[in-house]
Amino acid sequence: MRRACRPIFVFFAVAALFVGCNSRSHTSQPENPPHGGVMQPYAGKLPPDDGQWTMPAKDYGAYRYSQLDQINTSNAKDLKLAFTFSTGTTNGLEAAPLVVNNTMYIITSFPNMLYALDLTKPGAPMKWAYDPKPVASAKGVACCDLVNRGGSYYNGKIIYATLDGYVVGVNANDGHEVWKTKVGDINIGETITMAAQVVKDKVLVGNSGGEFGVRGWIVALNADTGKLVWKAYNTGPDKDVLIGLRFKPFYDMDKGKDLGVSTWNPDQWKIGGGNVWGWIAYDPDLNIVYHGTGNPGPWNPDERPGDNKWTSGIFARDADTGEALWYYQWSPHDMHDYDGINEQILLDLPIDGKTRKVLVRPERNGYIYVLDRTTGEVLSATPYGHITTSSGVDLKTGRLKVNEELKPSPGKVVHGACPAAPGVKDWNPSAFSPKTGFLYLPHNNLCMDWESVETGYIAGTPYVGADVKMYPGPGGNGGVFSAWDPINKKEVWHFDDRFPVWSGALATAGNVVFYGTMDGWFIARDAQDGHELWRFKTGSGIIGQPITYKGPDGKQYVAILSGVGGWAGAVVTGGLDVRDPTAALGFANATAELPKYTNKGGMLYVFQLP
Amino acid sequence: MKTLFYLLALSGLILALAACNRDNGVAVASGATPPIPTTVGPVPGGATPPAAHANPFSGNEVALTEGRKLFNWYNCSGCHGGHAGGGMGPSLRDEIWLYGNRDDQIFDSIAQGRAHGMPAWGPKIPEQQIWKLVTYIKSLRTPQEPDPPLMPEQEGIVKGSINSVPEAQK
Ligand code: HEC
Repeated sequence: MRRACRPIFVFFAVAALFVGCNSRSHTSQPENPPHGGVMQPYAGKLPPDDGQWTMPAKDYGAYRYSQLDQINTSNAKDLKLAFTFSTGTTNGLEAAPLVVNNTMYIITSFPNMLYALDLTKPGAPMKWAYDPKPVASAKGVACCDLVNRGGSYYNGKIIYATLDGYVVGVNANDGHEVWKTKVGDINIGETITMAAQVVKDKVLVGNSGGEFGVRGWIVALNADTGKLVWKAYNTGPDKDVLIGLRFKPFYDMDKGKDLGVSTWNPDQWKIGGGNVWGWIAYDPDLNIVYHGTGNPGPWNPDERPGDNKWTSGIFARDADTGEALWYYQWSPHDMHDYDGINEQILLDLPIDGKTRKVLVRPERNGYIYVLDRTTGEVLSATPYGHITTSSGVDLKTGRLKVNEELKPSPGKVVHGACPAAPGVKDWNPSAFSPKTGFLYLPHNNLCMDWESVETGYIAGTPYVGADVKMYPGPGGNGGVFSAWDPINKKEVWHFDDRFPVWSGALATAGNVVFYGTMDGWFIARDAQDGHELWRFKTGSGIIGQPITYKGPDGKQYVAILSGVGGWAGAVVTGGLDVRDPTAALGFANATAELPKYTNKGGMLYVFQLP
Repeated sequence: MKTLFYLLALSGLILALAACNRDNGVAVASGATPPIPTTVGPVPGGATPPAAHANPFSGNEVALTEGRKLFNWYNCSGCHGGHAGGGMGPSLRDEIWLYGNRDDQIFDSIAQGRAHGMPAWGPKIPEQQIWKLVTYIKSLRTPQEPDPPLMPEQEGIVKGSINSVPEAQK
């Protein structure tokens, strides 16, 4: 009895402590009217909301927004634990839980277990567990901790990918494997970490391995059978890339035949990266899927002269055939490991007096891009963090204006390259609230020193060629959580954090936004002015994606996986030795203090109102 | 209980002595066959561990710098960190050894691979080079370590100054 009461007691004690504390220092003033903070209620069409969470971003447009509003700015302070569940893992948990038919599904880091929890019973007991039994040697070729970013529900199945290169469809009722398809090969360094995205009757998955000289691709499988429907590579001849007559890139730099071959030294495209390990959005009206491509390999840019198509860019593809429709390259001939795989939020925004179908992309290279999603034209690219590696985007040519002084070259150590390799924002997805019209951005404030070193390709081993050391950028804080007005192209408010904010964000109709910190706080803020409404200390650092859903009792719940790790948290999960600042590809130096703040261990936390 | 303790202490002593011997050892040209697999688990009853193969390059400075080069050349650094502090593979700088830190055990880790993702390099790297890698790994954190990392303090690392303390709410 006493034991059962303890968590609740601790919760109240902690909550009581917070009341009356003084505001910590941060650049913006949440109590004052925020700069540029005029709300821009969204005029576009919203997807229907049944209170479930069936795919990674909740909807195809990647809003990570729920129309549930029982939890609001006045009662969020009363949030309390509803139930917890241990994932039995010690690696980073980056997935969003799924909620379908009163069942919650949790996908863990390696060994990629799938747990089903019965939401109709007190304490949400486990219904079943599914073990895909991935091979242990996959662990050696996962660049950045053994994470999994989630899955999708489709027609009675939970579909997700395993680290060792399989995609599985699991019966959502009883946990039986319906199909299992091998798509990757760990012997060449290929792994899968991305969230499998269902688009209509297909499931889309791509490979990881940009640090192993793995050639990037994306596949569409039949979601009922697991059979391959189409596969598109992101380097090599046009026919492999599914570039044909319908391909109409907006900018000249992306026009020409077989650029995936000719923008490389001979044969380098075969080991050139351009992996798909991030987010996919889908526009049902245009029937287009959007996905980014990862960094070119190796990191050392001198070893791969040319624009290195089609790496560090974005493709629009026909959802049924995979044919490329347009492409845009964020970072041609990338020199800083700026993968182009972040989330794209599909919005219809008023721009210069006209409503445009756009996609908004908070990009790793430091700019928030607004692209016309029918043509690939860049309408704007605005910095949202500290950038020294470039000075803007030429809107005529579409080209990033690279700072030549911070170009790595052999024998030279480049100092103060900002953003660092993980960018102003890495994979950690933002959320959009149609109520405020703001984007909520968990992100980084990191710079780096970079020294290119010679590297040779050995299949199945890292192909990097750079000694990197990262450190916090101006201000000394490693992370930021901010609100961004995509119409006026400016920040509304922001809050600094000691460590990179490596979790996803969630926006709700109750005007409460949620995110987590790497030292374990789960935080709720007022969507309009950003002031803090509530926080809860979880057992480990948070790098997961918060979700919200309507329970069988008709009440609103909020769920988050706690469990530090990921690239930013590898220093904790890998027990790295920070006496080597280049450990974890240089991230260990920036998060060297993290082991003093948190420990590994995975746990689901679900919250409700009293 | 006591006997077991003495046994353990004794075997520890034997081990230490063996290590001393190897450290003074001259560079013997190694045979064509790599060391037999060494045990990494406890030996039931605490019997004498199986014979260890000597590293022909112990204390050899040229081998040390070559080992450092090979560590980058074979992309060990990509998985274990530029100075072996860890990443995709574990740190080789710290005191923790999953598979033992005797030269022959490290040799076997490299030559045969380990289940949780360490590639088997035996078919790829000549035996002499593996010994040089072992020599380099054993030198980490010692004054002999070639090209040691600069400590973060020496680099003037900017430490996070923002406190994650709770904020006011009324
Ligand atoms: C593809 C990534 C990868 C590469 C490349 C790699 N290692 Fe490893 N290494 C690992 C992993 C993962 C482990 C841990 C294996 C386990 O726990 O089963 C490991 C383990 C080891 C160990 C055992 C450590 C212990 O605690 O007992 C040694 C020694 C080692 N590696 C040396 C090397 C050397 C030398 C090279 C280069 C020739 C190398 N490794 C290349 C991933 C790699």
